[in-house]
Amino acid sequence: MRALRGTLLSLVVLVMLLPVYAMFALSSASDATDLGGLAFDASQLGEHLSQLFAEGGFPLYLRNSMILSLGVALLEVVFSGAAGYALAQLTFPGRRMLFAVVVGTLSLSPIVVLVPMYLVVRQLGWIDSFQGMIVPFMMSAFGVFLVRQFALSVPRELLLSARVDGAGELLIFLRVGVPLLRPALLTLFLLQFLAQWDNLLWPLVVANDPRLWPLPVGLSQLQTEYDFSIGLVSTAALVTAVPPLVLMFVLQRYYVAGLTLGGVKK
Amino acid sequence: MTMMTRRRLLGAAALTTTAGLLAGCGSEPEATVPADGVPRGKLSVWLHQTKAYDAVFTSLLHSYLQEFGGVDVTPLYVPVDKLDAKLLTAFAGDAPPDLFKIGGWTVAGHARKGRLAPVIPKAMGVSDEKALVATYDQSAVSSLSYQGKLYGVPIDYTICCLYYRRDRFAEAGLDPDKPPTTWEEVAEYSKRLTSADGRKVGLQWILGNPQWTVMQLLALVRGKGGGILSADAGTATLATDAGIEALRYYGGLGNAKLSNPLSGFGLFATGEAAMVVSGLFAMDLFPALNKKLVFGRSFDIAPLPRWDGGRPVAPAYTWGWAVAEQSRLQYTAWHFIDYLQRADVAARQLMDASLLTPVKGWEKLPSTDTKAMEIMAAAAPHADFGPQTPVWQEMAKSLTDAADAVAFGKKTAEQAAADFDQAMRRAL
Amino acid sequence: MTLAARLDRTAPTVSGRGQRWAEARAGSLLALPAAVYFLVFWVVPFAGAVYLSFTSYELAGVPEWTGLDNYRRMLDDPGFWNSAEVTAVFTVASVVPSIVLGLAIAVPLSKPGRLNGVLRALVLIPAAMPLVATSTVWSAIFADHGLANTLIGLVGIEPKPWLTDEGLALWALVVMTTWKHLGLFVIILTAGLQGLPSEVFEAAALDGAGPLRAFARITLPLLRRTLLFVLVIAVIGAMQSFVPAFLLTKGGPAGATEVLPLYLWATGFGFERMGYASAIAMVLLVAMLALSLLQFGVLKGGDDG
Repeated sequence: MRALRGTLLSLVVLVMLLPVYAMFALSSASDATDLGGLAFDASQLGEHLSQLFAEGGFPLYLRNSMILSLGVALLEVVFSGAAGYALAQLTFPGRRMLFAVVVGTLSLSPIVVLVPMYLVVRQLGWIDSFQGMIVPFMMSAFGVFLVRQFALSVPRELLLSARVDGAGELLIFLRVGVPLLRPALLTLFLLQFLAQWDNLLWPLVVANDPRLWPLPVGLSQLQTEYDFSIGLVSTAALVTAVPPLVLMFVLQRYYVAGLTLGGVKK
Repeated sequence: MTMMTRRRLLGAAALTTTAGLLAGCGSEPEATVPADGVPRGKLSVWLHQTKAYDAVFTSLLHSYLQEFGGVDVTPLYVPVDKLDAKLLTAFAGDAPPDLFKIGGWTVAGHARKGRLAPVIPKAMGVSDEKALVATYDQSAVSSLSYQGKLYGVPIDYTICCLYYRRDRFAEAGLDPDKPPTTWEEVAEYSKRLTSADGRKVGLQWILGNPQWTVMQLLALVRGKGGGILSADAGTATLATDAGIEALRYYGGLGNAKLSNPLSGFGLFATGEAAMVVSGLFAMDLFPALNKKLVFGRSFDIAPLPRWDGGRPVAPAYTWGWAVAEQSRLQYTAWHFIDYLQRADVAARQLMDASLLTPVKGWEKLPSTDTKAMEIMAAAAPHADFGPQTPVWQEMAKSLTDAADAVAFGKKTAEQAAADFDQAMRRAL
Repeated sequence: MTLAARLDRTAPTVSGRGQRWAEARAGSLLALPAAVYFLVFWVVPFAGAVYLSFTSYELAGVPEWTGLDNYRRMLDDPGFWNSAEVTAVFTVASVVPSIVLGLAIAVPLSKPGRLNGVLRALVLIPAAMPLVATSTVWSAIFADHGLANTLIGLVGIEPKPWLTDEGLALWALVVMTTWKHLGLFVIILTAGLQGLPSEVFEAAALDGAGPLRAFARITLPLLRRTLLFVLVIAVIGAMQSFVPAFLLTKGGPAGATEVLPLYLWATGFGFERMGYASAIAMVLLVAMLALSLLQFGVLKGGDDG
């Protein structure tokens, strides 16, 4: 029974990883007629890699993506973390209103706010800057909602005992809340890092200077109107996927093992 | 607080109004010709292009900057399918670049909204608009005008022709040296080229793509004597005999369910499609998609077919250089554009980047694609740029919906044509 | 007597006015950046969009007040209704398998064991794949000679035109979307499951409840809060899903994958009818809010905040 379950699970996960393998196979495709093969040709991949890195901008795009993704993820964790905790555990004026705004924002189509948001950023003088790319995403309704849901599970007893000890609310947040919420915060960090790593439209709209372009914008240059090399584009996808994967495996220990804490029922 | 909220509440409104006011009562002088005729200032340029063009453009840019020390130019390459969204956001936010490349089909829409500055002939070394037009292919350059004013100069000009696979023709027992010349023949050939399981077809349309749908249907509808829109572009006229027959023919060819990441272009490269309608750019595209394809041996081109006994139609498009109405450097912008459009540059672009600038006498420019150029030159008198309407995007999308619905057997030709006309009544 | 009750009795200072004041101060301080942020970057643009939805604004000039025209226009716009339908189908089709599969994987995966530890790490890999970068890979997977057809060919199924069949294309997008999000849902559900108190299960086992019964009677109710979160996120994500259709099918074939956000995009940035696009967004917003409220209601108690 146990072995069967293990085999079945492994199979499911294997199927989920097939597209990732397809990416490897495609990154060694020589041209667009070569799509279905599962064969992997390392020399072709090598050629595509050197072609990719020969593109002058690639290291720069990589650096910009790092700044953008890390910047957003860090700010997100700090500010959405604080707000999510406050919404779940503290009573303060405007709490319901803020939560309503968060849920509403979650449901608002980003497409219609693109132009108004652009106008705001322009008024702030942030066109063509990292602020312009980072600040509009420094928090998210998703992030606040995620942290709040996890923070609801933080046992009130723990907070109460800290209060009995006379600790201030902010100190309780830092000493008790943050450690308990660490898995949720790390998950949020990872997810926001990924979201920005994958964000094409906003940086494209806001940055007129190619020296600020992150990877998705920079790499979209590989694909002109009709003409693109499927091998090269897949190789780019492969390379793009590496940093998030590394980050995921580094954080893995914390969020997989640690997430349990966040789920503790009172 | 209230003030700020209200101002922000009006968001787009207030700011664009301010922009409008600024443009209206503000600093026009730069737009006129400077006394000494010398261009000055820092230009921002947005364009999309292939690497081949990049090489041409960059070297031109350097020589221009050397020649005209008072000018600085910042070019920005934007992926072609994102250029519109970026331009629109910038326009709405009152921060467009000085000059940019746009599809000729979008000129009417932009011009109606007051985003484009008319050409300044003096900046381009001629006395008036008439003289400027005379330096170009007449029909190509006039496709960039709106309500009698010229808003751009053409670049990257293409007239559609028929691409066919010689190898597929030979396999099917058809003479690779005798491509079909009428749409009736195309249908006949397609029958012979279609495999029993339908996985290999004759002519395959480029489906789901607004721009190509317009050009493909244009050839069929105009050839039948009809039109997609009325002559004044005021009403839709697809629900006519010509329109319905065209749609029916469109739905009868190819296999809509064949799939490729590059749609019909990809299917032609793999050989699943034996014929496609395409432009000059495809000469380089197909060998890039399939390294085994050699022009003249495995694939070839022919003039776009016409209806038996019908008149020839040559669907065409051109991109254009345009200048923002809000730009304070309109003179400099047009001056720089003129530099990019010189005849010797046009010749180099055609050789190096297979990009055709329709300067006067382009038919005689030396090219590596001699046959394609000959076919285009012969078709040029019949060049048809399709309906010129400010709601081109909406028209093309509705037309694509209609054509696809027929191709996928979702609607009859009559129904689809009527639906298109209905949708256009809402839009026009 | 619970710990909390005992504390309440022995330490009255933690409730009362002083505590309320301290909480209000700390809460306001922690939530202030969020309040400012949401005001500037969402509420204000949102208010702008509400205003625009009552105007004719074509991304140029001054918006012209047209009252309810945009909303009326929606009623007889076949494009809108087609998109609304596609979005509804897509939402159901992608949320249900995500949740069901997510639970089916999470339940066994939440058990301890070294293999499970490894699998938990692997299952999240698709979530780390950038969607924009991998969309080309997906269009190749779904192509005629692509991986999807190779795979079903192994079990003797004829190749399918995944992206060019009106019936299939939406499902191809469902597969891609589910692939991308499943891992995340699994991990969140696993975390929720691992957090359930084990005594309850032991008690249930003693009562002789079978595994399915125990799951339905005990696990699911206890998992409400996690489920609520996953459900809300999944539904909203599906209703706002834009990238897969935008990159893979452009809404085709023949409108079969023209989800509402894509139609909204075409209306706003293709046709430049931003007023009308804003009105569509408002309708979408109301629909999503109604659904969210419904979920909060049905899974009541999942949200005791």
